[in-house]
Parts: sequence; structure tokens; C-alpha cells
Amino acid sequence: MTDLGLKAKDFKSDQEVRWCPGCGDYAILAGVQAFMPELGIPRENIVFISGIGCSSRFPYYMNTYGMHSIHGRAPAIATGLSTSRADLSVWVVTGDGDALSIGGNHLIHTLRRNVNLKILLFNNRIYGLTKGQYSPASELGKITKSSPMGSIDAPFNPISLALGAEATFVARTMDSDRKHLISTLRAAAEHPGTALIEIYQNCPIFNDGAFDVIKDSESRQAWIINLEHGAPLRFGTKAVIRNPDGSLTVEQDVSDDEPRVVVHDAHGDDPTYSFALSRLSSFDARYAPMGVFRDVRRPVYDTLMADQLAGAATGTTTDDAAFDALIRGNDAWTVDL
Amino acid sequence: MTYVIAEPCVDVLDKACIEECPVDCIYVGDRMLYVSPDECVDCGACEPVCPVEAIFYEDDLPEKWADYRQFNADFFAELGSPGGASKIGQTSNDPAQVRALLVKDR
Repeated sequence: MTDLGLKAKDFKSDQEVRWCPGCGDYAILAGVQAFMPELGIPRENIVFISGIGCSSRFPYYMNTYGMHSIHGRAPAIATGLSTSRADLSVWVVTGDGDALSIGGNHLIHTLRRNVNLKILLFNNRIYGLTKGQYSPASELGKITKSSPMGSIDAPFNPISLALGAEATFVARTMDSDRKHLISTLRAAAEHPGTALIEIYQNCPIFNDGAFDVIKDSESRQAWIINLEHGAPLRFGTKAVIRNPDGSLTVEQDVSDDEPRVVVHDAHGDDPTYSFALSRLSSFDARYAPMGVFRDVRRPVYDTLMADQLAGAATGTTTDDAAFDALIRGNDAWTVDL
Repeated sequence: MTYVIAEPCVDVLDKACIEECPVDCIYVGDRMLYVSPDECVDCGACEPVCPVEAIFYEDDLPEKWADYRQFNADFFAELGSPGGASKIGQTSNDPAQVRALLVKDR
């Protein structure tokens, strides 16, 4: 990494930050701005692209290039930019509504293609900008303005969704834990290909306290599972146990020599383990694995595309005969009138 | 930029702001509360809940309390950036100028 002498304040724009007082987005913004100098990339080569929503105001506040784009379509616009400009560091900022509902299709196809993007998914489990309707991440039974008798939609688990879409890097962190947030950003930045970070983010106005159980200093030890590659998944007196059928459960009072305790492996080729881990945070089991679930290498879409373009440009297929052959293909036919 | 706690907090220490702060960056001294300038994320949750209107955005700090910008920073000269006030609890890092203030009869 090159030290360009940049500081966090160099990444603050001159725009007045407009989120509600106490919004978790402020903490994420401060964390990202604090991390940016570590990239060692000049500001003019960094781009933040967002969709629509509270989180999507993010590019205004970053003193980098950016684009506040179309609802759910930030991954598509970012894909175009990233594949055509290999010299740029491209980041996508989105929320649980923008990414999982309106832009659900764009998200999963970006993940399977492994485009070189870093996607920050702010998950507050509510539609905040539109003033409090249930989102694809809201829990069953949630009473909101659009679900007065309780939501009957089974929610997405964003980590499970990303793993199912063949994502090569999937992680989770939290707005208020600056140190963890920055270490997760660092891991994502180092990953070649698409990195998806789900960031638990409190909306103090429309869904306050959604993550209190894992933020409260008294209770969080009982629910947060810190994921560190190569380390056993023990927390407090509990541990994650591998069952004979491959599923994972949490057990209490696990002895030190228990062989069924899972040792975290973020680099395994088979995503089955990471998926099982992600299921621990479904709503009936409130455990919150935090950190990098999966980090594997796969060819990057940008590179594959650049190789094809370079190959095509240097080939010999530029004469008329080759052009005719291309137009006619091997599938031409004559219509007799 | 950061939020700053000023003179009205001295010997009051209501702590309503501590409840509101999403990043736990308001620390307790002997005489008043202090916002960590390194840890504050400028979200503004603390400012409207203060019962004595002691909290100001740095740019809006009244001239008569301008020194409190530095007082808030000085509180952390030794503490540094602990990354959370609740685990630190009350400390006696109040800057000399704050410690020297006359005890007010509230």
C-alpha cells in the first residue's frame, strides 16, 4: 500500500450530512472515511455508487467521485464502471430495501459474476426514507405502517442469500463497532472480486433497538459469535457445534476438549459450511455471527472481460471475409419466394 | 467536526445524552461530561435531549464557551480513544481549567 498522506477528513465533503439524529449511517460514514486513507488510492480514483434510500445519500458526503443512481440499480452501473475502468476502486452503498427488494436481481447476478465491487449493504430491517414500511429484512409479524396486522412475509437473510448466489466474499459487521467495521472493510478491500458486507445499522426513528441485544454491553457476549479464520467458535460459555448431519447449532456449557466445536474456515471451497453458519442468525435463534463468513478466490469478471476484449482486438478477424462469416454465421438460410 | 459539551453541564451531569449516543462516545468526568472528538460521528442525537442545552455542534458553539472545544479534547489527552465510554466509567481527567471552576449552586 502507498501512503498518500491522506487523512479521514480529506474524505469528508463540504455537504451538510442529512440523516436523522442518532442514525447508524453517521457511524458507518465516519468508519468508512477513517478507513479510506488505508486504501492508498487517490481520491479521484475512488467511486461510491448508491441506489435509493437513506443509505444512498452516502456519495454526497464522500469527497470522492460518486453517483446517486437508480433504485436497486447501483450494482449494474457499478459493473459498467468497474469493467471499463480497472484503475478505479468502486464501492456500492445500498440498503436492505434497495439491495434485496427493488434491486434483488441486480445484486445476485453481480455476486455470481464476481465483478470487482465492494458492496456495503446497510441493513436496518425497515424502509426508513419512506417513513417506516416493512422491508425484505423485517421479521415475521412486524407491525408497520404497511403491515398493521403484522408482516406475513418471511424475511431474507442477506448473508444466506449472498452465499446462495455464489458470492466469493461475504461478511457482516455493525455500525457502532468502529474497530470491527474497519477491519471488515479492510478484508473486503483486499478481496479481488465482489465483496458483500452486511452492516447491521440502527434506525432510531422507525426501527429503534433492532440490534439492541447484540449492542448492549451486558447481553452481547451471549449472542455475538466472532468469526476469525482458524479460531474455534466459542463465545462466553457457549460454542457452535457441528451435528452429524452437517448442520450447526449452539450449545451451552461446552467443555474445553469438546471435539465437535467448529473451527472457523472462511476459505473452504464448499459454501455449505458458511451457509449453515449464516442460518444461526435466523430470527428464532438470535445469534449474530460477525466477521467474514466466506472469502474464496474465483476469476474476476472484470479480468475475464478485459482478456476477451484484448483478444478480440489483437485477432486477425478484421478482413471482409471474416466480417461476412460473422454476419452469416453458420446459421444462414435462403428464403424462396 | 464534532459535538462539544459546554459550561451548562458543569456539576449537572444529567447523562440523558449518554443514553442517546449510538457510539458510546460521551465520557464522564468529575465536573462534567465530555464528547470524544475522535469517536463522535456527528449524528446529533445528544444535542436535543440535553435538559440544560449544553451540547453544541462545533460550528455553533457560543463564543463565550469557545474554550470548551479544547476542554473536550483535553479530557482525552491521557485516555486516548478507548472506543466506548461505558467500559471506562467515571474518571478524573477533567482539564485543570474545568476543575478550577467554582462549584455552582444549582
